[in-house]
Amino acid sequence: MLSIKKLSASVDGKEILKGLDLEVGAGEVHAIMGPNGSGKSTLAHVLSGRSGYEVTGGEVRFRDVDLMELEPEERARAGLFLAFQYPVELPGVNNTVFLKEALNAVRRGRGEPELDSVAFMKLMKEKLALVNMRPELMKRSVNAGFSGGEKKRNEILQMALLEPALAILDETDSGLDIDALRIVAEGVNKLRTPERSVILVTHYQRLLDYIQPDFVHVLANGRIVRSGDKSLALELEQKGYAWIEEAAA
Amino acid sequence: MSTPVVEAGSRLAELMSGAAHERDPQWMKHLRGRAVKDFRSRGLPSAREENWRYTTLDFLGKHAFVPPTDDEAATVDARSMDALGADAGAIRLVFVNGRFASHLSTADTARDGLVVRSVAERLENDPAMLEHHLAGPKNEEADVFGAMNTALMEDGAFVRVAAGTRIPEPIEILHISTGGDRPGLVHPHHCVVLEAGAEATVIERYAALAEGLYFNNAVTTVDLGEGARLRHERLQEESPNGYHLSALRVRQAQGSAYHLATASLGGIWARTGVTLAFEGEGATAELDGLYLAGDRQLSDVHLDVRHQVPGCASRETFRGILDGRGRAVFDGRVLVAKDAQKTDAQLANDNLVLSRNAEVDTKPQLEIYADDVRCSHGTTVGQLDENMLFYLRSRGIDSDTARQMLCLGFAAGSLEAFSSDSLRERAEALLARRLTTPSKEGV
Repeated sequence: MLSIKKLSASVDGKEILKGLDLEVGAGEVHAIMGPNGSGKSTLAHVLSGRSGYEVTGGEVRFRDVDLMELEPEERARAGLFLAFQYPVELPGVNNTVFLKEALNAVRRGRGEPELDSVAFMKLMKEKLALVNMRPELMKRSVNAGFSGGEKKRNEILQMALLEPALAILDETDSGLDIDALRIVAEGVNKLRTPERSVILVTHYQRLLDYIQPDFVHVLANGRIVRSGDKSLALELEQKGYAWIEEAAA
Repeated sequence: MSTPVVEAGSRLAELMSGAAHERDPQWMKHLRGRAVKDFRSRGLPSAREENWRYTTLDFLGKHAFVPPTDDEAATVDARSMDALGADAGAIRLVFVNGRFASHLSTADTARDGLVVRSVAERLENDPAMLEHHLAGPKNEEADVFGAMNTALMEDGAFVRVAAGTRIPEPIEILHISTGGDRPGLVHPHHCVVLEAGAEATVIERYAALAEGLYFNNAVTTVDLGEGARLRHERLQEESPNGYHLSALRVRQAQGSAYHLATASLGGIWARTGVTLAFEGEGATAELDGLYLAGDRQLSDVHLDVRHQVPGCASRETFRGILDGRGRAVFDGRVLVAKDAQKTDAQLANDNLVLSRNAEVDTKPQLEIYADDVRCSHGTTVGQLDENMLFYLRSRGIDSDTARQMLCLGFAAGSLEAFSSDSLRERAEALLARRLTTPSKEGV
């Protein structure tokens, strides 16, 4: 699904990722943990194609194409989805209009026919129930005035509609209380399929109580320094990151 | 020194002096004569005048505009009306190249408490009704284009709602330009009068059926009696070669409420001047405006809001979108006179600039002579937000569509002030179309 080899990337001339390797197979859930500043969010941004990041080395292949050659919208159409840590507010852009535009853009990219309004509304109703989201939010501007939990749910709703092959959840747990976290995690779990891969980028183990990962990786100083199963996350919870950073240094 | 614009001024003055208005009542002849004299003594404004510093009048020297002689009304049929989005429910007055088109207008205007007629018809049949509104003191302050309108006006809408009357359906004034062989010069003059306690919605539109070259120099006066409430919705969608100048003069008596929603989207050169005077206490005015300055288009808004009496509130919120080599001018003046205590005035102008070659000159001005007031003004000039663009693109939406969605989102802040859904949707569609037209940037 995703193969990252020796990826290096810098921001404003400062190298953040320093030869990162990661293999994600179909249907696998990978958690990427690490201390602040280790490069977790940079990895998510580089994969999604945000500008301001310069890839200085290595290779990323996604479903057998060179991901770095694609524009952000082409990556989305190719099946990549990033759930933002800080979902962006779009004043004046209606949420329903936005979601329909996005879905049809991705469907066109997949060679599928566009959905008309009736078919779209039916599908949306179904997906809204999945993430337990109030239908009134569909009439509002995208994320504008949404609570933290509503914004994250809106991200998962987009994921449910766009049905990506690979979803990257960037600090999805940040700013959520325990109830909101549970609802968001349940949404993600319902979207798990034998084909769909997920990368969870998170600082805390907390999210992994709700979404069980197959693999846990520790990112420190721009590299994956340790990989294991779920027990690694528990170990990090107990011992913190310091021992691993020391071991990696 | 004789420049093309000065020569144009002399030519226009000749045109005014020569215009025959034999059927005018005496007071109207007098009014026109005074206007011609006024125009002659002042001439067309030069770029040295502060009000015209950023807005060139060169086009008057380039094209020999003349009042249209042929009656083109017959060329406009039901199908054209459909294309212009004229909905069946409204009370409607249609003008084609400045002349009343009765076959396109709704005939059923005989209703208690409502007069909806053409100005030409009133001049002929009931000039006394008009005299007070046309010859009132408000005309004395008009600028030279106002004088030109008085001298050359032939027709327009006359709307009067009697005291205490509420008109539920919108009253639409639709001005259509067909574009003729010669550059047309048209002077619509509309009067809207709401007597004490009256309520109404007036829609004022300027549309075109062809990409004609013409100059519409329109004047609209709005007179609100005590406690009257008016929603005034304007949509300017002139031809891409059309020149549009429009003076809107509003007077508000005690406790009246005026809400203007206006969108200026068309024309190659468009200027709207709003003069609003509070003449009684406790009146409120809300002005929501949107202007587009697309490639090589000039869009100018001048506001002159006068708080002359205490306890009135006004809000002026104007948004502009500039693209290609578009140019916009916003000059918003709010005056708070010495006696106008407890005034509340909020003036805002926000501009979204999509191109390096576009330019906006914005000048919000608060002139405050009272000491117990709540006033603010603010201006922004910005570009599309990169984070917003990336968010849309990360969902599969291409960057052109993403730009367009964000522009429409910006415009929505103004367009939601339209109470008429059909008008708002028409404005949105027009804007979307203008924004998809590739700009000529860098060519």
